[in-house]
Amino acid sequence: MSDWLPKSAAGKRWLGLAPSYFVIGIFMLVPMIIMGVFSFLEPNPYGGVKPVGSFAAYVKIFFEYDLEDQLVFNPGYINIIFRSFQLSFGATLLCLVFGFPVAYYITLQPENRRNFYIYLVTIPFWTNLLIRTFAWIIILGRGGVIETPLLATGIIEKSLRMMYTDGAIAIGLTYSYLPLMVLPIYASLEKLDFRLLEAASDLYANRFEVMTKVVIPLCKPGIIAGCLLVFIPCLGAFIAPNLLGGGKKLMLGSLVQFQFASARNWPFGAALSMLLLSAVVIVLIFYARAAKNRAAMEGSA
Amino acid sequence: MTSAIDVRDITKIYNPNSNQPVKALDNVSLTIDDNEFFTLLGPSGCGKTTLLRLIAGFEAVSGGEIMLFDDEIENLEPNRRPVNTVFQHYALFPHMTVAANVAFGLERLKKPREEIEATVERVLTLVKMKHLADRHPNQLSGGQQQRVALARALAPSPKVLLLDEPLSALDLKLRQAMREELKQLQKETGITFVFVTHDQEEALAMSDRIAVMSDGEVQQIGGPTDIYEHPVNRFVADFIGDTNFMDGEIVGFNDDLVTCRIGTQSMFEAENSGAHKIGDQVTLFLRPEKITLSAVDDASAADTRPGKVANIVYLGNQAAYTVDMGDGIELIAQARPREDGKLPFTLGDPLAVEFSARALRVLAQ
Repeated sequence: MSDWLPKSAAGKRWLGLAPSYFVIGIFMLVPMIIMGVFSFLEPNPYGGVKPVGSFAAYVKIFFEYDLEDQLVFNPGYINIIFRSFQLSFGATLLCLVFGFPVAYYITLQPENRRNFYIYLVTIPFWTNLLIRTFAWIIILGRGGVIETPLLATGIIEKSLRMMYTDGAIAIGLTYSYLPLMVLPIYASLEKLDFRLLEAASDLYANRFEVMTKVVIPLCKPGIIAGCLLVFIPCLGAFIAPNLLGGGKKLMLGSLVQFQFASARNWPFGAALSMLLLSAVVIVLIFYARAAKNRAAMEGSA
Repeated sequence: MTSAIDVRDITKIYNPNSNQPVKALDNVSLTIDDNEFFTLLGPSGCGKTTLLRLIAGFEAVSGGEIMLFDDEIENLEPNRRPVNTVFQHYALFPHMTVAANVAFGLERLKKPREEIEATVERVLTLVKMKHLADRHPNQLSGGQQQRVALARALAPSPKVLLLDEPLSALDLKLRQAMREELKQLQKETGITFVFVTHDQEEALAMSDRIAVMSDGEVQQIGGPTDIYEHPVNRFVADFIGDTNFMDGEIVGFNDDLVTCRIGTQSMFEAENSGAHKIGDQVTLFLRPEKITLSAVDDASAADTRPGKVANIVYLGNQAAYTVDMGDGIELIAQARPREDGKLPFTLGDPLAVEFSARALRVLAQ
């Protein structure tokens, strides 16, 4: 409560915050509103939109017109959305499986070396994601780094066909967003009081129980934050699905990108984006509620 | 009596392969009896906490053996040793309630649910924390957390309870109250307590026996009065309580007393302790409370020595006087304030200083 503040002071405080409101407004709210509005307009076949209101874009997600011009249910896009969730979930799980041990390992290092390792984790961000994803084509592809030696030594006889599969997409997504899993988990592990681990083992917990009963519950906020930071961009990703999935196996992100870049159906792209946005918001609401319950449970003294 | 813990020639070296190995414990041997309140006492860095951590299993020994009721335990993981620890900063699990914290050890031991519930209730009652069983540690005061830590370590009925300076984070009043309670708890439970502290008062008040440590070695093991009245060396005498030291030379023997020359010509008789011969350089030690100060005109006996008040430190229930004895000798002595609250002597007053030759002891230098 700021009742005690004189009115003028409260006014000045608002003035001080104005630049940040302005930035948030210009860079976040306005584009989102534009997207929302576009999703309710008709497409212009030459790009852009026609200023005519329509629900067609949303209808198109679920239905299509058959040959007799009847509106029938079309599972095509729903399937893509479902696949996107599946792949994003898989990639998030992989990131967690690989990221947690990395974060844990870094936490166990002497303090002066930890920052160096964190710095190493961020190195992939220095080059363009597109280029890094191309690298995976060289690794996974026919005649690539993995296949060539295996073929040469006769361990395998024909190509493994690793490219253009869901597995390849999941690997690409995992690779792209792994640092986003490592960093928040590290941040919460770093605050962990390692004497608690001693206390647990003193109280007859074996190594596995020390992990499951003490370490993981205590760095849950970091794990959840990491999962969100990976899951959400995975849903909207289009580089890895396009390059490693060959563009045939679409994900939500590539579908949206396709609507704006090639299909020239901006309203449909916007509608899909709005759907993606609402999915993310729903996930975040669950997270916020879980965090609130947790805070209420542990109390705040 | 069976021994609860038998530490045999334990050596602990940190960073043994680096160019700066640190020897934390050097060939330490000691035996802790069953059902004993045993204290490891020493200044920080003396190795007392290291020894406790070796017994608990948080560190690996560099050499030697640790026996727990005749079982060799030094190579076991901490979770395989039937000992529990009360940590200096409690180390309670912040994501669990008090009851869950206390139940943790029992759950790991796969005790049946009913037994766990009954034990949790019993130990929480024992430490007077039952009414707060559903709280989380961050909703408790330091003293309450301390009790929970105790309950948590006692719940699995360890063969030995290890306490790592558990009272150091509490304020003075609470610390004193907890001393009594800990001692009481030890008697009630019959569990062997190994208590680590740097606070000599705490050690004297609670322990059955004390091991005084310094520089990774045990200096002396004995009961509180032994340690206080008969320290084996200057370190122990200095570390426990306030002490006057006088360095000098043995010049003669008189029955079981020795005569020492301190300074240039002052002669003191002292109780002999150990084999000394004429010409040995020794240290005499004398506890301040063994010295009686009186005004010169009240002095009755002939065996008083003259002195002069050189400094006064007022401590409330008493005052510490620095007495100039001449010949470069200064002694610390105590006197109580008079009934009207005034101190009996003031700066520069001449004094009659009295102490028995039996109160003076010889320490080897």
